[in-house]
Amino acid sequence: MGHTESIFRLDNVSRQFGELIALNDISFEAAQNEYISLLGPSGSGKTTLLRVMAGFEKPDTGRIHFLGQDITDLPAHKRGIGFVFQNFALFPHLSVFENIAFGLRNGIEDVAGTEIDTRVRDMVGLVGLEGLEDRVPDQISGGQKQRVALARTLVMQPKLVLLDEPLGALDANLRSRMQTELRHIRERLDVTFLHVTGSETEALAMGDTVAVLDQGRIIQSGTPEQIHDTPASSDVALFLNRFNLFDGTLSDNTFRGPFGSAPVQNARHNDTDVYAIRYDRTKAFRKGDALPGPALPARYLASEYLGSSVISFFETADHKQVEVDHHLSFGDPGEYEVGQDYILSWDPEHAIVFGREAAA
Amino acid sequence: MSTTAPSTERNGYTSWLLAPGVFWMILFLVAPIMMIVYVSFWTQTTFAINSTLTLDSWKNFFSSEAYVGALWTTLRLWLIVLALTFIIGYPAALFVGLLVKSKTVSTVLLVLCVIPFWTSFLIRVLAWRPMLGKEGAINIILQELGLIDSPIEVLLFSELSVIIGMTQIYVVFMVGPIAFMLGRIDRNIIEAARDLGAGFGRIFWKIIFPLSLPGVVVGAIFVSVMVLGEFATSGALSGRKVNLLGNIIVTQVGSLKWAMASVVGVILTILLGIVVAGFLRIVDLKSEL
Amino acid sequence: MDSKLLKPVLAVYVAAFILFLYGPFIVLGILSFQQGPEGGPQFPIIEWSTYWYRHLFGLTPPSRIAPLPVGEALLRSLTLAFMTMVTATVLGVMAAQAFRRRFKGAGIVFYLIVLGMMVPGVLTGLGTSLLANNVVGVERHWWTTAFVAHVVYTFPFAFLVMLAILNRFDGSVEEAAWSLGVSPARTFRKVTFPLIFPGVLSAMLFAFTLSFDEFPRTLFASGRDQTLPLAIYGTFSVEIHPNIFAFGVMTTLFSFSLLAIYGILMGLSVRRAKKIAMQEDIS
Repeated sequence: MGHTESIFRLDNVSRQFGELIALNDISFEAAQNEYISLLGPSGSGKTTLLRVMAGFEKPDTGRIHFLGQDITDLPAHKRGIGFVFQNFALFPHLSVFENIAFGLRNGIEDVAGTEIDTRVRDMVGLVGLEGLEDRVPDQISGGQKQRVALARTLVMQPKLVLLDEPLGALDANLRSRMQTELRHIRERLDVTFLHVTGSETEALAMGDTVAVLDQGRIIQSGTPEQIHDTPASSDVALFLNRFNLFDGTLSDNTFRGPFGSAPVQNARHNDTDVYAIRYDRTKAFRKGDALPGPALPARYLASEYLGSSVISFFETADHKQVEVDHHLSFGDPGEYEVGQDYILSWDPEHAIVFGREAAA
Repeated sequence: MSTTAPSTERNGYTSWLLAPGVFWMILFLVAPIMMIVYVSFWTQTTFAINSTLTLDSWKNFFSSEAYVGALWTTLRLWLIVLALTFIIGYPAALFVGLLVKSKTVSTVLLVLCVIPFWTSFLIRVLAWRPMLGKEGAINIILQELGLIDSPIEVLLFSELSVIIGMTQIYVVFMVGPIAFMLGRIDRNIIEAARDLGAGFGRIFWKIIFPLSLPGVVVGAIFVSVMVLGEFATSGALSGRKVNLLGNIIVTQVGSLKWAMASVVGVILTILLGIVVAGFLRIVDLKSEL
Repeated sequence: MDSKLLKPVLAVYVAAFILFLYGPFIVLGILSFQQGPEGGPQFPIIEWSTYWYRHLFGLTPPSRIAPLPVGEALLRSLTLAFMTMVTATVLGVMAAQAFRRRFKGAGIVFYLIVLGMMVPGVLTGLGTSLLANNVVGVERHWWTTAFVAHVVYTFPFAFLVMLAILNRFDGSVEEAAWSLGVSPARTFRKVTFPLIFPGVLSAMLFAFTLSFDEFPRTLFASGRDQTLPLAIYGTFSVEIHPNIFAFGVMTTLFSFSLLAIYGILMGLSVRRAKKIAMQEDIS
């Protein structure tokens, strides 16, 4: 697989449910053998996109290509695209073994019994389900169900697997373990994962490519670094949940906001004027300290310890909450007193500014 | 969204699944009813009918005292049985659906009510004969108790026996839907009303009864549809003294008077339509269920 | 009224109510053990005996009381109920499956189907006979006209049962099967059907018992050969004997055994799935 042929391509795909536009003219192409994260808030149409690609729904308009072939009119069972459901959708009347063997036994191709056996056993080993083959889904845990759902799909050796919030039903501990495992499993097999999630952490942590979906449109796609460091619009910055966003006005390379005015070197085109500064670039100072840039007075509310960093919450005069993320490798965080006023500041070079004036 | 099954093929699939059932109902339900309407205007000779259209059978029906009498008897019995099933059934439903706290007891009681339906309908009708007869169980018990000197004869082969029989057979259709609606009432509402000092009577009329009304309507529709179309109970328990519209149809078909049977059939259909539509006006079932 | 008093009063009432429901049948059961052949269908019991049960099976010496003509009628009724059960359940499952998706005219189709259980038997019976007699010109038989009328009656019940079952059915397991390359037809056989099987059993039970006991439709539409309810009805007009009571007890026992079979099948269908899974694993 040396060449970079695309695994799938969506051409102007739209889908509408009554008044609700779930997919709005989506065009997207993805490379083979990648882990693609599709990030979107609930209602952004991300599940619909997966269902359209899987063949559970038909697009109103647009074409879907898979491995160079137009599959828009192909029924789901002839597409050869795997699907992992959020609720796992295991067959409750079949054992773990039979769940995994289901597609091999009942698919269009005839697979010999001995081959089924080997392939299922291999898969059981790969996802770590040894010893549970005879249990029925009711007798295994959520994490184990997740593995069965994955194994059942992967045993068919699909080129593309769609995962609909596959970690949503798991508890936090399990989720982070499965994150690593999903990436490992994908790397071992010759397969592309398209993983839909509402969690920006999950999307950025897992994807080789991240696509951000909002109101039925893909508003940005790129590497996690690109998305993280250079969000294409204020909406993306908002979803990432890593930026303090301030409304204001941008004119003549100056942004006027609640912190006064700040110089702007370059700005990205946007529908509204928004000033964004990452949580970990925002710092708190006492009155009288030397500031690296603009000054935003704010009252300290509370802190949250996250292991490797501490997030401190401040409130500005207009009751907007501002977060300061202090990574502990930079030393101990400052001691703040609840209810006391502080000055928040940052290096204006780190700010990302969106504005109507900016060139598209 | 998870409850609907989107299919790979869209419309053809649904049509093919529905076609057999829909055709069956059109051919063997709608067409026969249309046929009744059509034949009611046919010309009847002694042992045959031909499709020359006439109003004769309709005129015969309305000029015959026996036929019109059957219409009134049907209406009278329907109203009496409907009232009795409601009066007798509601308290039972109130107990089963609302007052019994344990779900198990409530289910057991409902199952107890349904078990008699596992016996043949005709046997259940017939079972009233040794009960109500001159030497029947009720007369014997009453005589033993010294309440009466000679057996009450009107118990069997009278309108009374038909009413008793029908009430017993159909009362469960009233109890079921009402108990179901009562079972869905949020107990907290009743507790809250009680805390506010409302007595049971007030709670009943202001909260419980209105909430159970859809159940009453469904029950009333069940009972009405069944009683209006009855002929077996009246035939078996009245000794042919009580003639309902259903009995007329049976007799007419028996003597090959298809046209007159059809006239009665049409009248019965219209009656049912009015009654069911009337009940549905009281409560909008779609929004309730 | 004081609600403290209300509950015990209503409890007594419900007891009386249940007695009202069961009373006639208890009396009928007692009288079925009347002495025979002289004992009549009324109290008092001259002497307890099982004469009328033996009479039912032709085990008594011939007497002036003819045995009930139930043998062939029973066979017909069972066959008819079986035919009806299969047809009504298949139609019911198909229609309910179609109703899982929204489609134009769903309301009309729903009412069309439900109409079948709402229209009184006299009317469907009469209409079917008219159609057969005067338009199509076919003779009426229990296995033709009565059969179609029975299906008209029981199909709605099967449909409603299946609708309730499928309403709670999570369609994502089917989609999962499709995504594994399994065709919709095979998915239905291997996934949907096993999972809705308890519902199908209930629908079958409904259809069978309703058809087995069906009287008004059969009366008009069955032609010469009688089914069981018609045979019973035939005895109404003549003098009744306790043999019909004994017969009533027998049919009730039959119904209960049917119910028991249903219960056993239901229990098995739950366990079966797990067992099959294990067997297939071993093989």
